[in-house]
Amino acid sequence: MKNFDVVILGAGSVGLPLAWQLAERGFSVAVLDEEASWGRGQNRAAIGGVRATHSDPAKIRVCLDSIAIFSSLRQKYGLDVEWRAGGYLYVAYDAKTEAQFRSLLEVQKTAGLSIDWIESGLIQNLAPGISAEGLRGGTFSPGDGYASPLMAASAFHELACRAGAAFFFNARVEGFKTRGENILSVRAGGEDFCASLFINASGAKASDIAKLAGFELPVFPDCHEAGVTEPIERFMEPMIVDVRADAESGNYYFYQAETGQVVFCVTPRPQVWGRDKDSTSGFLPLVVRRMLELYPRLRNLRVRRTWRGMYPMTPDGLPILGYPESEKNFLQIVGMCGQGFMLGPGLGTIVASAISNGSSYAQPAGRTAYGPIFEELSIARDFDHIELLK
Amino acid sequence: MNRIERHPLLRPANSARRVAFFFDGEALEGFEGEPVSSTLIACGRHIFSRHARDGAPQGIFCANGQCSQCTMLIDGIPKKACMTPLAAGMDVRSLKGLPVLPASDEKLAQAERRSIRTDIFIIGGGPAGLAAAIELGNLGYQVVLADDKTSLGGKLVLQTHKFFGSESDCYAGVRGYEIAKKLEEKARHLPSVSLLSNAPVVGLYKDRKAGIFLNFESYVLVEFTALIVAAGAREKALRFPGWDLPGVIGAGAFQTLVNRDLVKPYEKIMIVGSGNVGLIAAYHALQAGIGVVGIFEAAGRISGYRVHADKIRRAGVPLFLNATIVKAEGDGRVERANVAAVDEHFQPIPGTRRTYDVDAVLVAVGLAPCNEFLEQARRYGIMAVAAGDAAEIAEASSAMYGGKTAAIELARMLGRNVEFHPEWEATRRVLASRPGDSYERAPSIPGAEWRPVFYCSEEIPCNPCATVCPSHSITLKNLRGTIMDLPYFSGERCTGCGACVAICPGLAITLVRRVSEEVAEVVLPWEFNLDVAVGAQMDLVDQGGAFVERAALVAMRSVRARETWLLTFRVSASNASRIAGIRARSRPEFAPRPALTEHEDSILDMVICRCERVTLREAVEFIRKHKLRDANQLKSIRVGMGACGGKTCSQLIAAAFALAGIDPACVEPLTQRPLFMEVPMGALVNEGMHRLGGKEAGARGAP
Repeated sequence: MKNFDVVILGAGSVGLPLAWQLAERGFSVAVLDEEASWGRGQNRAAIGGVRATHSDPAKIRVCLDSIAIFSSLRQKYGLDVEWRAGGYLYVAYDAKTEAQFRSLLEVQKTAGLSIDWIESGLIQNLAPGISAEGLRGGTFSPGDGYASPLMAASAFHELACRAGAAFFFNARVEGFKTRGENILSVRAGGEDFCASLFINASGAKASDIAKLAGFELPVFPDCHEAGVTEPIERFMEPMIVDVRADAESGNYYFYQAETGQVVFCVTPRPQVWGRDKDSTSGFLPLVVRRMLELYPRLRNLRVRRTWRGMYPMTPDGLPILGYPESEKNFLQIVGMCGQGFMLGPGLGTIVASAISNGSSYAQPAGRTAYGPIFEELSIARDFDHIELLK
Repeated sequence: MNRIERHPLLRPANSARRVAFFFDGEALEGFEGEPVSSTLIACGRHIFSRHARDGAPQGIFCANGQCSQCTMLIDGIPKKACMTPLAAGMDVRSLKGLPVLPASDEKLAQAERRSIRTDIFIIGGGPAGLAAAIELGNLGYQVVLADDKTSLGGKLVLQTHKFFGSESDCYAGVRGYEIAKKLEEKARHLPSVSLLSNAPVVGLYKDRKAGIFLNFESYVLVEFTALIVAAGAREKALRFPGWDLPGVIGAGAFQTLVNRDLVKPYEKIMIVGSGNVGLIAAYHALQAGIGVVGIFEAAGRISGYRVHADKIRRAGVPLFLNATIVKAEGDGRVERANVAAVDEHFQPIPGTRRTYDVDAVLVAVGLAPCNEFLEQARRYGIMAVAAGDAAEIAEASSAMYGGKTAAIELARMLGRNVEFHPEWEATRRVLASRPGDSYERAPSIPGAEWRPVFYCSEEIPCNPCATVCPSHSITLKNLRGTIMDLPYFSGERCTGCGACVAICPGLAITLVRRVSEEVAEVVLPWEFNLDVAVGAQMDLVDQGGAFVERAALVAMRSVRARETWLLTFRVSASNASRIAGIRARSRPEFAPRPALTEHEDSILDMVICRCERVTLREAVEFIRKHKLRDANQLKSIRVGMGACGGKTCSQLIAAAFALAGIDPACVEPLTQRPLFMEVPMGALVNEGMHRLGGKEAGARGAP
């Protein structure tokens, strides 16, 4: 039997920065993960984009916090995560998309995001060679950027270790011991871990963990494939997002990493529900066609590798943050809908701050100003509003 | 020009057209269609590029399209020089730093998905893959076989020596490249078999499809029901300080340069490892006129066939046991190599360092199966069987039987009621045998009639001498009852025809007869250029290469079918039965000198990931700092993230964990994912087929 203040289930995009933040605040923290090391669930599959460009104020706020953390890791802690503030560029090739993007600007700016509409000419400067045919302009948010998920996970792991968090790998959750509405301990990897607070940060496995604890979570993973090219001399700055859908796919997006590789991803249509991590033959011909239609000069760029990961989806595309009614000391930070990497550090700060300020089932935000975020992302919400820039 | 103008077996293609091209602005010449890397080496250019991270010189390493070390800017686009055929006027440039993406901004005119459907897909067109294709074609299956090389036959294409085994089973006594032709011809005649060369398989996907980078210009998906993985093997790397210098290459890569492309890349080489690959590479080097200072084997015994080793020794190449390379040095490429004696733990013994002046170190420390496709197939639940080296590292002769049995196994898995041939599996096992016991042979006394003398004293799977003898006078002494048994002269009569001498792959048979009380004649095989005439005096040696006597050549004839000379010498009768060969040339001065320093280089400074130039020290420190148990985590310091996809470093990662004090057995291995070779985006959507007008895309590689 091991005793901690907090036990976090999942050493991934959410669990790692949270462990660091909690340990920094003096909590004794254990992080349990069934993989052999950190970040091996879906963090390894993240492509690395970090944006505060959302349509939902809560997410904008959380991601602004994340960006502040990613961009300061090198200076504050000497840890390189290959962060680059290349910005996010949402391109519009038709009137409907333009109108949609423009309609969001006010909400986004109000939430504190630096974003504006830019004309085609400026887009050509940011991404030389992008197809100008029909390009109406786009929104550009220069503070957004990208980082290496692998290096970021290692950095947060290191920071968490430095702050005293304990990690237990190859520790698969087997079950919970409860008393009344509280969890007493969790059994994982053959050991019992006791704590006063448990946190579910288990990404694509969140609903399985919830089931073991006796409640249902509306988190359903779907599969997405991604790829990376050889490195080349920098030729473009922003993450480019094309939200147009075609018969086989939804949006697709790509950026040039700090180290020169182009990293890309496409949303399959229809969605592929499940947990398959194996590459399929359809991905490359599809995503590459779409990228070349938008950006012909990529034709000479060589694709190096592909992989596949999961988006732990919720019905409305927003994360779940809060306590279930039945397990009052089991905080859920789940359903990141493929954005755990960009939401994780911000959520970690917000949640750690709330916990150290008395967060509980009755008062999830503790004595902090994060009330609206917890309210909006509450597990008890009606999942009927759809996030536009999902 | 560093080209092989004259070779005892290989002829430069007369049809090749000389073309001019540019290397970093300098006008040079090469043969159209040959790999750019071989052209550059023929022009004496060994440093192709400088690495973006630390400026380290980059040159040829695998010569096999696997490692990406030879990537250069070719007509403005980064390509592997070893996989890019030379064309007139080509602009070849060193990569310095990251390449610039060309601004070819014309609109994508066409995106096409190409696919083919087949019953059985075979990856690899070496002896195992071709044998499987023949068997499956005979059963009427639709078969598509894809191989990444220009010529089918796998490594047989590079083998200029005669093969072991038996004539009836596996073309024993025939040279490797001839066997390749025979197998390919058989497979080509089968109507349901399609053979694709220049067709590397770059990805295997969950939906039972494989992606082929056809002719290095288009992308074709093969949809199949079942799979045979006959992808062969890759050479194991050996790490020592300087192992990343141009000039340190695999023995197989060396054979590619010398025997396939007929370039003479080096003047004087050292070979590390005494398996058959290393021993044969030494022989190939000698045939190409390249000096070999020695073969160094860390173990206490030779690991290849004794007959191969004897052949090398007779040619004047020393073999050193309990010794290995400790460092390669040079300014931009190998100029020297340090060797040392090693103790029973393979650790260098202080005070034993010697330096050899060499311009290359051939690493021949074994092969590792290319089994990643098989592992992936199994994970995906795809019906798959491995054959040849991809299943078990062994001789090509055994791989042919592996291919046949894999074909039958697959047919049965597919529900076909075909008979399993247990004798094939038995033959495969025999052909895959490691050398067995050694036997002393009684000295033979020459008589008035011709008699064969055998210098074949170690059990290996081989019997063509017995089957070729027209008077059936050679039989295997029945100890094991297989072709592992040793041959003996059993007949009454030897006609002196020399068929056994000419066919013996080990060059381990001579003919002797006494012509007078004092004088005898001995017939010896010869596989080097012959620059002498009857009457010449040559140095004759015993089985192990020790000088016996200098004697006169009295007759010579060429056995065309075996591409072997039979040379008759007049020798003293008392020596006749111990003369086993001719010293290839007067022993050259390849003496080492004492090493300049005994200073032990820290192996921690060695590069472990060649693609990304990550040192062992960086890896060990990262493992220690994070208490790592997962090799995938090394990707955050870029180990395994390079162009080769972890093909080389994955072998070395275990060493990094061991040095950090962690048992590699409890470390999660690197995950392999497609692609296995980089493919340009334009090729992935087949835009070039339209843009460049189909087949006219020509030999220039991907658009």
